[in-house]
Amino acid sequence: MTPPIVERVLRPLVSLKLTIACLAALMVLVLACTLAQVKLGTWPAVEIYMRPWFVWWDVPGTEWRVPVFPGGALVGAVLIVNLLAAQISRLELSWSKAGLWISHAGLVLLVFGEFVSGALQVESQLAVEEGQTVNYVESPRELELAVIDVTDPAMDDVYSIPAARLERGGSVAIPGTPVAIQVRRWFENSDLTQRGPTDPPSPVTAGIGTSVTVRERPPVSRDDMTNQAAAFVEPIAGGRSYGTWLVSNGLGAVQSFEHEGRRYELQLRSRREYLPYAVTLKDFRHDVYPGTQIPKNFSSLVHITNPSRGEARDVLIYMNQPLRYEGKAFYQASFGKGDTLSILQVVENPGWLLPYVSCVLVAIGLIVHFAITLRRSSKRRQAPLEA
Amino acid sequence: MNLKRAVAWIAFGLALAGAAASLLPAAKPRGFDAEAFGQLPVLEGGRVKPLDSIARNALLVIRGKQSVPFEGRSLGADEWLLDVLFRPEVADRQEIFVIDDPEVLGLIGIQQSKNRYYSFATLAPHIDELQRQYAAADPVEPKLRSRYQSAVVNLFERMFLYHRLKNTLQLQGTPGLAAEIAAREGPGAPQRHQALAQLAYFRPLLPTTPTGDGWRSVGEALAATSSVEPGLEQWARAGVAYRAQDPASFNRSVADLTATAALGRPEAIAHSEHEWLFNAAQPFYSGMVIYVLALLAVFVSWAWRPELMQRLAFGLLVAGALVHTLGLVSRVILQGRPPVTNLYSSAVFVGWAAVLLGVLLERMYKRGFATAVAAASGFASLLVAHHLSSDGDTMEMMRAVLDSNFWLATHVVTITIGYSGTFLAGALAIAWVVRRHVVRRADPAASKALVSMTYGIICFALFFSFVGTVLGGIWADQSWGRFWGWDPKENGALLIVLWNAIILHARWAGYARERGTMAMAIFGNVITSFSWFGVNMLGVGLHSYGFMDKAFWALSAFVASQLAIMVFALVPARFWSSRRAEEPAPAGPKGGSEGASQPV
Repeated sequence: MTPPIVERVLRPLVSLKLTIACLAALMVLVLACTLAQVKLGTWPAVEIYMRPWFVWWDVPGTEWRVPVFPGGALVGAVLIVNLLAAQISRLELSWSKAGLWISHAGLVLLVFGEFVSGALQVESQLAVEEGQTVNYVESPRELELAVIDVTDPAMDDVYSIPAARLERGGSVAIPGTPVAIQVRRWFENSDLTQRGPTDPPSPVTAGIGTSVTVRERPPVSRDDMTNQAAAFVEPIAGGRSYGTWLVSNGLGAVQSFEHEGRRYELQLRSRREYLPYAVTLKDFRHDVYPGTQIPKNFSSLVHITNPSRGEARDVLIYMNQPLRYEGKAFYQASFGKGDTLSILQVVENPGWLLPYVSCVLVAIGLIVHFAITLRRSSKRRQAPLEA
Repeated sequence: MNLKRAVAWIAFGLALAGAAASLLPAAKPRGFDAEAFGQLPVLEGGRVKPLDSIARNALLVIRGKQSVPFEGRSLGADEWLLDVLFRPEVADRQEIFVIDDPEVLGLIGIQQSKNRYYSFATLAPHIDELQRQYAAADPVEPKLRSRYQSAVVNLFERMFLYHRLKNTLQLQGTPGLAAEIAAREGPGAPQRHQALAQLAYFRPLLPTTPTGDGWRSVGEALAATSSVEPGLEQWARAGVAYRAQDPASFNRSVADLTATAALGRPEAIAHSEHEWLFNAAQPFYSGMVIYVLALLAVFVSWAWRPELMQRLAFGLLVAGALVHTLGLVSRVILQGRPPVTNLYSSAVFVGWAAVLLGVLLERMYKRGFATAVAAASGFASLLVAHHLSSDGDTMEMMRAVLDSNFWLATHVVTITIGYSGTFLAGALAIAWVVRRHVVRRADPAASKALVSMTYGIICFALFFSFVGTVLGGIWADQSWGRFWGWDPKENGALLIVLWNAIILHARWAGYARERGTMAMAIFGNVITSFSWFGVNMLGVGLHSYGFMDKAFWALSAFVASQLAIMVFALVPARFWSSRRAEEPAPAGPKGGSEGASQPV
């Protein structure tokens, strides 16, 4: 006998109504997420509808945020619980149900895999020109302010401040150095133009930024657009100010200042992650079908040097043929500069194998289930014959 | 009994004979062997194809049809191309540019009238103004263009295509290729050769190497050597003969060109003959006609000699399926690719799979509904395909990331079968609704058969759309680095999977019974059309190579019609015309999409 209280909790959890409600909610979310992509781009739409536990609505004119719909994460979690509960309470543990058991386990793993991807998947890019060697990958969305000690010609010391920290403003001390960076202003997206005579006065007092006017722009999120962020920063070292500088990922110029014989560079750039190995692009190919502009093939021949593993070898990365190396996968994603620049998409997802495992489980489960059903029905057909 | 069986076979045979009739050799127009000319292999759009394909596709793009009425006769595409290539002054007078937009017509000073077709000669005086308008409209993103801007861009692009065709073998305003060869070292020749090489729409001259695909334009061949190669010479002679309207020597030159190609590139000749045959046979057009006949036969069967007409309809359906299959197989061989490579071929394939399923269902249930539904689905999908083909070549080369026969054969084919299944279930449900409201004579067994067919097909559709979606995820992991990226096309596929899963769970749990299941199956049509075409119209995401904007209104109308039919499906039993016998004395509220709690 099951105690009534447990049953009262369990009954709704195992009900098919809940399954249907979850599937319907998921359809609504998927549709909303798809339509939102037209305006927002893929990434923000997924961040609004699929990843969070609730879809929030900002009440206009107030500071309030109200949850208006369960988010993708909540629906997914409820679906997993519902599947598991239904499995345990309804399906008896018998051989005849083995197929359903296996395929439902596969489905649970599939949804779980999406949670793992959402939490752990890191996407970055590696842009490398022919002949160039690169030992870092860059985030396509996040920025950082790099303060680089370039005094030693053999080696740079890189300190980086994430953009989120710059957005908060205030002073950021650079560890291991006497330098602190005072953030005066942050622009999520901006327009940089040559300073005209009628432009309002600028707070910038040093560097190339003195001849530039910065205008704030509304941030963009579409996949094919990038924000040109900018900031006014003031390095302070030993109680002394080195002026207010303009930094932006749209500025190509190198800006630096010197403090007590050490030279520091300031750079607002895509957030970098340094690799324990280096990638050299030997050759990039972009083939087209004869007499057309239709691309036939993109490929990058790269050379990988990994001192820690004593490895040095060539790898050809091309369409549908990524390189998987040290937990990262490198894909041919884009190109530029008259076919001499190759851009590789770099994905790190510790759970990348989960969908494969779950697909195999679902497939095996369905095959087992069909086999069992077939045997049962053929037995049933034989029974009247024998009678 | 024997007669009835014979009727099915006779219908089958007659339909096939009708379809094959289009392959009989046609009369030579004015004595010119246009068929042999149409079979000559050339390179365009990255692949070798017969001139016939160039002619048909270009005329389809420019005029929306594959023939032109001129001087009291109907010119075929090949004959039209001959005029464009060799007698441009005649071609300029043929009314080939279809213009529907009143503002564009106003721009060239013409009032809209019954005639929608205009010749190049009519447009030529306004070409500067058209170009100015085009230059203003072209930078606007296609999605944001006004009706007028789209029409101007479209007209100018068609005029440019025509201009390129005219300048492929001889420059506009010059006496012809023979004169060009004679003056190949004269003053201004290099500039003319360069212009010819740049404007050439197709490349008619064989590669100089025995392998590789370095086909050359006339301009390139003229510039390369001082000696004249045989192919160039033969093209020139064909041109002179056609200008002089001398069929005998024209036919001789074409035979020489064929011989030259057969010697240098035998496989190109074989390929282009096969494709010419495919063009001439128009299997999808014949299939469409046969499906309509099958559908009519089913309609007749409801009023007159049901068993005989049902068999006849089934014979026609199988014939249609066979013609459809031959067309599909031809495309697979010609392209060297799995059957689904673009939106057009997906429509052809969706219809094909639906028809095959329908044939199977008819074998199992033998009631004529499956024949009707399959024939209607086959016809509808081929009609959709026909409208998708107006952009030109339907066998274009695959973009780099799609260049994978393995994934095209697995992911794309399974997901398309999933579309087919969902549409077929929706079509069966529509048939159920129509029966309920139209047929007076009640037949509970028939109704039950339709319901169980629909249920079976939904299971089938769920299986294939799930497998297809997962395979797509695996392909995405291989090529873009993530299994699932919430890309619009992926989401569309997921919507189909979720919807089919909802229908089945609602049925298993007893929340939806007959009416509910059928209404939900019809809504499956809406979901599938959204994920098949709708997401492409959003113009975002990694799958946007299938972009299309024209069909928005057609899609909206389709969705509206499906929603209307759903209302009819959900109408309570007392409004049905066949209610009495099928619903014996309902005791309480009848099970609809909600309210029922007992498993069916």
